[in-house]
Amino acid sequence: MKLLALKLCNFRPFYGEHSLTLAKSDERNITVIHGNNGSGKTALLNAFTWALYEKFTAALASPEQLVNRRAIAEAKVDKPVPCWVEVSFEHDGKQYRVKRECRAYRKKDGSVEQAKSELMMQFVGDDGRWTFLPSSQMPEDVITRILPKSLHQYFFFDGERIENITRTDNRSEIAEATKKLLGVEVLDRAIKHLTTARKTLEEELEGIGDAETQSLLAQKRKLEQEAEQLQDRQLEIDQELEHQTTRRQQLRQKQLELTEVEGLQMQLNTLEEQEREIREKIQQSKKTLKRAISNRGYIVFLPKVATEFRSLIREREERGELPADIKQKFVQDLLDRQKCICGTELHEGSTACTSVKSWLERSGLSEVESATYRIEARVNELESQIDDFWQEVDREQASINHNKGTLERIQDDLEDIRDQLRHSPREDIRELQKRLDEVDAAIDRLTTEKGANQEKIANLELQAGRLGKQLKESRSNEKRQKLAVKRIEAAQEAIDRLKLVKENRDEVFRKQLEQQIEELYGQISFKAYLPRLSDRYELSLVEVAGKQDVLVGASTGENQILSLSFIGSVIERVRQWSKAGLVMGPDSSTFPVVMDSPFGNLDEIYRRQVARLVPLLANQLVVMASQTQWRGEVEQEMQPRIGREYVLTFNSPKSDCEEASIKRYGQVYPLVRQSPNEFEYTEILEVERQDG
Amino acid sequence: MAKKISSDAVHEPINSASPEVRQIIQRVLEIEKDRLDKNERSPINDEILKIIKEAIQ
Repeated sequence: MKLLALKLCNFRPFYGEHSLTLAKSDERNITVIHGNNGSGKTALLNAFTWALYEKFTAALASPEQLVNRRAIAEAKVDKPVPCWVEVSFEHDGKQYRVKRECRAYRKKDGSVEQAKSELMMQFVGDDGRWTFLPSSQMPEDVITRILPKSLHQYFFFDGERIENITRTDNRSEIAEATKKLLGVEVLDRAIKHLTTARKTLEEELEGIGDAETQSLLAQKRKLEQEAEQLQDRQLEIDQELEHQTTRRQQLRQKQLELTEVEGLQMQLNTLEEQEREIREKIQQSKKTLKRAISNRGYIVFLPKVATEFRSLIREREERGELPADIKQKFVQDLLDRQKCICGTELHEGSTACTSVKSWLERSGLSEVESATYRIEARVNELESQIDDFWQEVDREQASINHNKGTLERIQDDLEDIRDQLRHSPREDIRELQKRLDEVDAAIDRLTTEKGANQEKIANLELQAGRLGKQLKESRSNEKRQKLAVKRIEAAQEAIDRLKLVKENRDEVFRKQLEQQIEELYGQISFKAYLPRLSDRYELSLVEVAGKQDVLVGASTGENQILSLSFIGSVIERVRQWSKAGLVMGPDSSTFPVVMDSPFGNLDEIYRRQVARLVPLLANQLVVMASQTQWRGEVEQEMQPRIGREYVLTFNSPKSDCEEASIKRYGQVYPLVRQSPNEFEYTEILEVERQDG
Repeated sequence: MAKKISSDAVHEPINSASPEVRQIIQRVLEIEKDRLDKNERSPINDEILKIIKEAIQ
């Protein structure tokens, strides 16, 4: 999506119609909009999100009041006041116009009634004319295909609150959004629809199959149904778990707010964080242990075989077969020359020749010899690793035991604190802890059920797979039946292979995305923290202590950088993957970033780095900035890439309003000025740029 | 053992399939992508059945 223009009419502080053309060339891809606080920068950001997604950012005050007050005040009673935003954009070589409109009415009693908004979309058709979207298609669907609604907050955001993206409680949200952007939907749908088709084929086979086939199919279907029911239950559990986790966070937040327990709360937080870390460490150790056993576990069983092997060698040595002291080539050379080293002629058929020839067989052992000694060296080497192996196993076991001990202590301490809260003299605290206990119990129950179901599903699928094989091997000679079985088999294979592709993509995408985030984060931050993206696409910052990753409590600034690195990396990766043809889904290789109040809490160095990197990452950047945000280093870095520039002029009805202005390219533009009437409203002035 | 996959290898399960299965996968993915772009939600079982039956004869 490349943004082309924004038009507004009576939207928030913007009275009447206004329009902005946005910079879109590759070299000059920044549009800067200067404005003082309260002049409508956030409203402009929200003009995009409202028009495209009917969404507002958290920073927008009273989002229900969309229509400009002056327009309403000037309107006749019960006559509609138009309020709309139109966003023009280009996607995949096609131009689109999206217009969201809502009407407001001033009632007799002075109240305002606002109707529900309507969305219209036009595009340039094949004939080059603007055409309305056919009624069979919803504009919302078209937009979300181009830039998914669930991802809009990563492209239209408030720079001062950007760190929220990476907050712990938003982890699952960011994970889901990332997966969506990677376009797993086509694969999911293909797998789902192929499964339905396979079932239809099985039904057809049941109609024509013999008794054995029918019985096998019936059994298979029963198992699959059972597995499906469990899968459905798993989805319910996931939803319920998400709900309980959110509830838990809310309850914990309330607990934190009760100042009386603040001391305990701090301890609780610390202990819970420690609990999480220790659990992670235990998991890590278990992983290392598993890996060691599966890769090198066999070497502990080697000594017996090695002893046998050595005794074999000794026998051969005793028989004089090893070491082989004569090489085959040497004997062959003598035979070819027909002369022994002692000078005896070796004529074919002579005793001497036969005798030398017999050496050929023995000399063949030289290959056996070198192979034997190679094996011996390897056996020795492996044997020497046995100690290392046991040492590693012992070390990890000890670490697990130690951590388990620590975990127990932490859990005891946690239980103590919770007990104190349970018996607090204050009823609200007791009640809160009771509810938290209930939530914890529910989470525990659900997690256990989920694990058990997972095992059951795997087992059912295994059994169904075996029945599928039996079907394939059934001895039916009937041609039609054979063909049907073959088709079912092909459908199943297609499903299995698509599932593998899905797994592969997940793996590759996650690794590459993590690398990209790490690289970008490293370019901006001077802290030695490393961003990590978990198997579930959850983002966190860690510090490497020894061989262990330790989660860090990053500052707001660090989290802002992490969030920006994440957004930049997603954009960059999706662009690369699209080029490589790896993204199966809508083409989404061009991304705009619309950013209000950039780099609020960052230091100068960070501001400079971010100002330099963001325009390079996003294909297009729209920045709304106050004068303090548009400080030296930001301006310096962005100036060469500015393509369009606007000033929001706020008209204040206050008689004592403090006027302000901004000077650009030698010209003064008012930021705040006295309103010519009793209304406050904002106008948009385009800056005449003189730098090309 | 941890899997290490290069970008090129992502689609290996499709590329290594027999020609018939590969044909099924590619044609199904094509119509799914097409439908995704057009946002069609009508049933497509018949289309997929046709693809499978045409590939395996």
